[in-house]
Amino acid sequence: MSASAERIYRILLRAYPPEFRAEYEREMVLLFRDQCRDGDVRTFTFWARVVWDVIQSAPALRAEATRTVEVVMKLAAILSILLGAFGIFGAVSEWMAAPQHAGTYAIAVVLGVIASLLLLGAGIAILRGMRQPARLALVASLLCFVGARLLFPWMGIFLQLVGFGLPVALLVALYWPPKHSTLGTA
Amino acid sequence: MVMKRRASQPPAAYLPLPPATFHILLALADGEQHGYAIMKSVTARSAGSVRLGPGTLYGALKRLLEAGLVEETGERADAERSDERRRYYRLTQLGVAVTRAEVQRLDAIVRSARRKKLIGVKPA
Repeated sequence: MSASAERIYRILLRAYPPEFRAEYEREMVLLFRDQCRDGDVRTFTFWARVVWDVIQSAPALRAEATRTVEVVMKLAAILSILLGAFGIFGAVSEWMAAPQHAGTYAIAVVLGVIASLLLLGAGIAILRGMRQPARLALVASLLCFVGARLLFPWMGIFLQLVGFGLPVALLVALYWPPKHSTLGTA
Repeated sequence: MVMKRRASQPPAAYLPLPPATFHILLALADGEQHGYAIMKSVTARSAGSVRLGPGTLYGALKRLLEAGLVEETGERADAERSDERRRYYRLTQLGVAVTRAEVQRLDAIVRSARRKKLIGVKPA
């Protein structure tokens, strides 16, 4: 029974990241053998504890191994660079297509271009690990965008969502307090 | 082999400790032990209320090794079980300091609760 129990346990161990398994699989299997020796492997309670242990510990170790938060921040930074470039392109195209350029309209377009440039710069700063310049660029981008929106109230809903939502989301992420302890939650 | 990070933070920076981590450090305060001995020590100390599985135990040990609170002292067979060689772990100086800091933190909480007569008083 304990040989087949060990086979099942080795399958469950695949839930852990490969580096962790390479380092600790042998020790974990040894410990599992001890548990089999001292406990009743045929009971539901035994296996419920084993499975619960894997459910509790494997996802956190996987998240640590892939550094999920850093990956998400990098993706958000790339998105802000793309949307910043898209914003500049959009503002310039609109300027070219407009038959005439009234004073407030011109200021709104200029503010839109500056907001997009700042968003693009913030994305680059995040990618380079410069958190404080990124924060400043995002706040400035948000202010420029609010100014452009006030001068140009018929702005599209998508543009408003991007112009407000992305800088605010990135600012929240950048001001989120880092975890002081590196010892997990278990 | 786990990469050990040079300790750069004061003991207070690691607090509060996750419950499983604190139990492991308390178990290792008795001296160097292998994984199963730590597990049994935690179960006995907590009167069965805390049961560490292999994943929780080695996940926590990995973090403790990386943080420099625990170190490996090599592999050898358990004299009592006389079976395969096992890795032994012990507290580092930082590990002892962090454990002490956590005990003091919890002691202050308990003293505060006692002053408020939440514990140590017979229910009416």
